[in-house]
Amino acid sequence: MESHATESLLRWIVLVPLLAAAVGGLLNRRLPKQVAGLLACGAVGVSFALSVTVFLRLTRMPAAERFVSDTMGTWIGFGNLQIDLGFTMDPLSGVMALVVTGVGFLIHIYSLGYMAHDEGFGRFFAYMNLFIFAMMTLVLGENMLMLFVGWEGVGLCSYLLIAFWFNDEANAAAGKKAFIVNRIGDFGFLLGIFLIGTTLLPHLAEGEGLFSFRTLQHHAGIMAPVATAICLLLFLGATGKSAQIPLYIWLPDAMAGPTPVSALIHAATMVTAGVYMVARMNFLFVLSPTAMGVVAAVGVVTAIFAATIALTQNDIKKVLAYSTVSQLGYMMLACGVGAFGIAIFHVMTHAFFKALLFLGSGSVIHAMSNEKDMRVMGGLKKKLPITFWTFLIGTLALAGIFPFAGFFSKDEILWKTFSSELGGVLPWALGFLAAGLTAFYMMRLVVLTFFGENRASAEVKSHIHESPATMTMPLVILAVLSLVGGWIGWPHFMGGGAWFEQWLAPVFSSGHGAAAHGAAVHGAAAGEAVHDTMMEWILAGASLAWGLIGLGVGYFVYMKKISIATSLRNLGGGVPYKILLNKYYVDEAYEGTFIRPGYLLSKNVLWKIVDAGLIDGLLVNGSALVVAITGSVLRLFQNGMVRFYAWSFTIGVTVFVLYLSFSG
Amino acid sequence: MEITLTHYLLLAMTVFLTGMVGFVVRRNAIVMLMCVELMLSSVNIVFAAYSRFHANADGHVFVLMNFAVAAAEAAIGLAILVEIFRRRRTVNVDDLKALME
Amino acid sequence: MEGILFWVFGSMMVFGGLMMVVQRSAVVSAVWLIFAFVSAAGIFALLSAPFLAVMQILVYAGAIMVLFLFVIMMLQGPVLEGDQKLLGRSLWPAVAIPPLAIVVMIVGYVMRNGLTGWGGPAPEGFGSPEHVAGLLLGKYLLAFELISIVLLVAIIGALAVGKDERKLPWK
Repeated sequence: MESHATESLLRWIVLVPLLAAAVGGLLNRRLPKQVAGLLACGAVGVSFALSVTVFLRLTRMPAAERFVSDTMGTWIGFGNLQIDLGFTMDPLSGVMALVVTGVGFLIHIYSLGYMAHDEGFGRFFAYMNLFIFAMMTLVLGENMLMLFVGWEGVGLCSYLLIAFWFNDEANAAAGKKAFIVNRIGDFGFLLGIFLIGTTLLPHLAEGEGLFSFRTLQHHAGIMAPVATAICLLLFLGATGKSAQIPLYIWLPDAMAGPTPVSALIHAATMVTAGVYMVARMNFLFVLSPTAMGVVAAVGVVTAIFAATIALTQNDIKKVLAYSTVSQLGYMMLACGVGAFGIAIFHVMTHAFFKALLFLGSGSVIHAMSNEKDMRVMGGLKKKLPITFWTFLIGTLALAGIFPFAGFFSKDEILWKTFSSELGGVLPWALGFLAAGLTAFYMMRLVVLTFFGENRASAEVKSHIHESPATMTMPLVILAVLSLVGGWIGWPHFMGGGAWFEQWLAPVFSSGHGAAAHGAAVHGAAAGEAVHDTMMEWILAGASLAWGLIGLGVGYFVYMKKISIATSLRNLGGGVPYKILLNKYYVDEAYEGTFIRPGYLLSKNVLWKIVDAGLIDGLLVNGSALVVAITGSVLRLFQNGMVRFYAWSFTIGVTVFVLYLSFSG
Repeated sequence: MEITLTHYLLLAMTVFLTGMVGFVVRRNAIVMLMCVELMLSSVNIVFAAYSRFHANADGHVFVLMNFAVAAAEAAIGLAILVEIFRRRRTVNVDDLKALME
Repeated sequence: MEGILFWVFGSMMVFGGLMMVVQRSAVVSAVWLIFAFVSAAGIFALLSAPFLAVMQILVYAGAIMVLFLFVIMMLQGPVLEGDQKLLGRSLWPAVAIPPLAIVVMIVGYVMRNGLTGWGGPAPEGFGSPEHVAGLLLGKYLLAFELISIVLLVAIIGALAVGKDERKLPWK
């Protein structure tokens, strides 16, 4: 049977990168660079090819039955608790698998050039492969625990790669920050999983895998009473991983890692894990309007919040990082208004153009001898033609200009926000505003980097060169994808078929079945119900025009009249600018509210009283004292005279016999 | 006078106490080991006597086990003594005080 | 007849034990111990345990004591200097009182409660090699197998401890 063959392919999608990571990581420097690079790229390439194979198999199945599963055995099994070790692919995870392995493959190729001169070449590729493994476990895992394993795995790889150049203390600190902030989210996520487990376990039939997504979906009704709690806890995990307010602070710092890492992990794939997880658990989220509202609100606020910060940053990667946070906000917004399919659509298009932008910025940084500050760039258009043109395409896609990929996904999100019962005018307006800001700051970035005069030092100038083919090829491919990638979601009102949404529909429609049970959100994703083609055209036109205005203003201000920027900076005594430049002082606020009190608490109460007084003083030294006193008595018997020991034994025997004879 | 179970038990007690006193008074570690063997032997007599008393030969099996354990103990103990002698040139337990405190 | 033999073997055994304790020379002690063990074989025979009697002579008086004699001769001349004087006089009460107390208590107990006789003659074939072997290879088969492991461990342990460390195969 063909399906059997396809099914066992599924595990190899995940395991091949793991094997490559093990081989590459263990041999590390003993492997020549060419071999190590080839091994890593080859593994991801194989993974991608297998994903395509299984995906094609999915497309040939009837829409409602698109589901391939590969169970490798029982992971945990006792009582009626049964958790399998297995992988599944349905339309949702299929799309994610293609994006992760596809974009991952391109970025691996790019890294060959980017990391060519790095000391830790082998280590880098081992980590990258390990990341692909973890991400694929997350995406293809059959149950929540597998997802959690992948979730923690990508967190670990993210930490390892952010702190990749760990000799620099700032990098190590950024890695730790990412790890710790993520832990906060993971804690919530884990609590959510526990809550699901305790709620569901008594209701399970024999052999039904607890935490398996199929089971969860099937029994969603049972969880309805606690759905809000579960969803909010899960969403806390998502805010950590997907860099939403309040846990987004780690992502900009994560730019300390090598640029391909930023592109792969912190733009294209890992940060979308939260969105994926929310979309995966859609059947639960639709049961709780409260949770949906929170998701949407956090999403839209994050989108506009991060966009405003991005306006003022000078580090090219920081701008892109805040842009990523902002775009992730869009995705969450889409989830929150019930448009899960569109959220995943944006995940995909965003993966294309944001990976492109990051890799392009990597190419720029590479050319500028590791300079990241845009204020000393400029005029790179001529020197880096391929990078420039591909970067421009990425910018247009991100700004949502027709017919680039970003237009379709972003416009759909805004439309769904506007039309859905869970959305409304206010979230739409905020999202709309953020879209204009996005166009503006991206144009600022392009102008500062590529146009005008080069402001670098003469020495750096002389080194500027276009990147090698291994770096430009992925750029070109991603640029093409950023152009055409959105067309598969060509909306109905423009004469398309919204094929992407239809493809995902089976995954999300069943959620509505549960929603009917749980008597919750009916028209959640049913924007169709209020389908107003006219309105849709107007809004699409408006957002396109708004994007163009943003780009135009950005070009005008930074190209022609830089004085406007200066006067904007001084607006209101320069206070707003300063606030934005310092990222709303959120890091400082966290420092003041959580870190410092936590530190003081630890130092004054936990350390001085609990640790030094109670534990050290009473428990440790106290028990030591008891032992010392006992010992000083007992040492009288430990005089080293063997015959004394023997004599003690005779006394023991005598006492024993006396006791026996008197008691009996 | 008829010989009874009690006679055998008293004999075993006497032999055991002889070994016990010997174990305390002797300084030669090898002789101390021999005293242990003597005590084990007295225990074997008790086993055999009670086996006879209950007309149940299970005790004989225990005695055989005891033989094996005694042999093992003698082998290990003597090996240790040989090793100690190699290092310290003596088996006088009064000179071996490394265990003190 | 049994009475005479019991007194003969019993007194021989106690005497052998005492001589072992008081002899200064380790070699002479060992020979006295062999004497005691042979007497113990006689006691086993009186207790309807012919198989044990044979094993006592083979294993104890034969194998184990030969091992002792071997080691004694390997290590030291016939008299250990430290054993010239057994015990300081002041320590005699400390050593003598516990066993005496035990003797007093137990003899007192026997005086009060009288002697415990046998329930009757031993059954036919009791304690014969067939009888014990049946138990050893049937009911106590597991213990029998385990004791062989104990012996194996003892062999390896003795080798490991006794051999010159630099020549151990795993060093």
